[in-house]
Amino acid sequence: MTAPSCADPIPLATLLEYWLGELDAAREGELDGHLLGCSHCSASLQSLVDLAGGVGAAVRAGALDAVLSDAFVQRLAARGLRLRQYHVPHNGSVHCTVAPDDDLLITRLAAPLLGIERLDLERVGTGGSSDLERLCDVPFDAAAGEVVFTLPMQRIRALPETTVRIRLIAPAPSGERLVGEYTLHHRPYQSSDGH
Amino acid sequence: MCNEAPGRYTTCLLPPRPYPSGVQNASANLGLDDAELARRIASAPDGSDVAAETELYRRLAPRVRLYGLKHLRDRQAASDLAQQVLLLTLERLRAGKLRDAEQLVSFVFGTCRMMVLELRRTGARRERLLELYADDVPMADPAATPRLDQARLVDCLERLPERERSVLVMTFYDDQPAREVGVALGLSEGNVRVIRHRGIERLRDCVTEGLR
Repeated sequence: MTAPSCADPIPLATLLEYWLGELDAAREGELDGHLLGCSHCSASLQSLVDLAGGVGAAVRAGALDAVLSDAFVQRLAARGLRLRQYHVPHNGSVHCTVAPDDDLLITRLAAPLLGIERLDLERVGTGGSSDLERLCDVPFDAAAGEVVFTLPMQRIRALPETTVRIRLIAPAPSGERLVGEYTLHHRPYQSSDGH
Repeated sequence: MCNEAPGRYTTCLLPPRPYPSGVQNASANLGLDDAELARRIASAPDGSDVAAETELYRRLAPRVRLYGLKHLRDRQAASDLAQQVLLLTLERLRAGKLRDAEQLVSFVFGTCRMMVLELRRTGARRERLLELYADDVPMADPAATPRLDQARLVDCLERLPERERSVLVMTFYDDQPAREVGVALGLSEGNVRVIRHRGIERLRDCVTEGLR
């Protein structure tokens, strides 16, 4: 059954600001009252909350391929998620794996990012094939000097022994500039007794 | 049945009973707005209009639960709040003390506010206990809401542009405002809001498309 219509529906952007606590107290109180009396707007808010809950659940399940930030990774750790992290030096390489009880794999690529306006990330090998993936316009904090990302755990666990190559590229009107190249030597997990 | 609500509230009232055989589904057949339902409950002999009470409960409980989630950020506490507020509201209606829609919403809102304050106080106590005994307590239920097809949602997230996906993930993992997400990603607060709005619209449309 659809909710009855509302003469003055709350826009999605305002519902977002309300849910995330970005409104001042007076406006928030106004919306509290409206939402308690309006099934149309409360249904809109509920669908937004459902989406938000689903995104959170996807993170906790290690199902996402996403560029993150150091502060966010620290929040994940503080919430009790088991993180396996690899710091890859600028133009360097690491040997890596994921253990059965890891919740998330976090890769940190050190890079000189100051002055860069836009950054693309190219990678080969994360899907178990030689296909090139290019993530365009990834977010980054230039001052942090690193790009942080996570990959779906199910995909990583299914990988055989493989080499993943990653390049950070700064596109510019005059042409692309290579910012950094990285190599990840992945091996399926082996416990200390060899299993 | 008596419900001991936090603070000064004590209610002795049964929640609406299931329909007896012969009483048809209220939502399908009453066709009344909230105010008309309130008037029907108020004018019936004490608790006798089961259909109207059940329908009002069905409509208001999700709204109060959302209010609780927003202000308490705890599913269980939000459900408790909904039950307690609705029991008090029905008690008021049966006593003939609420007769129009404005009074009804105003009473529900006022009761929600007071109970949330009380629950926050008890919640703070609970937080202190959790800090002391955190290792012995299982983590909160991380399950996604069953209203969504989670596989579809992950697929839709993967289809978003990188920036939108990052902003949505960093916003909704633990409901962070634009300012915090902006600081973490080197973006302005306004920019995060624009990206967030575009991303959630795209995500909603993609998930909804999958339901059709």
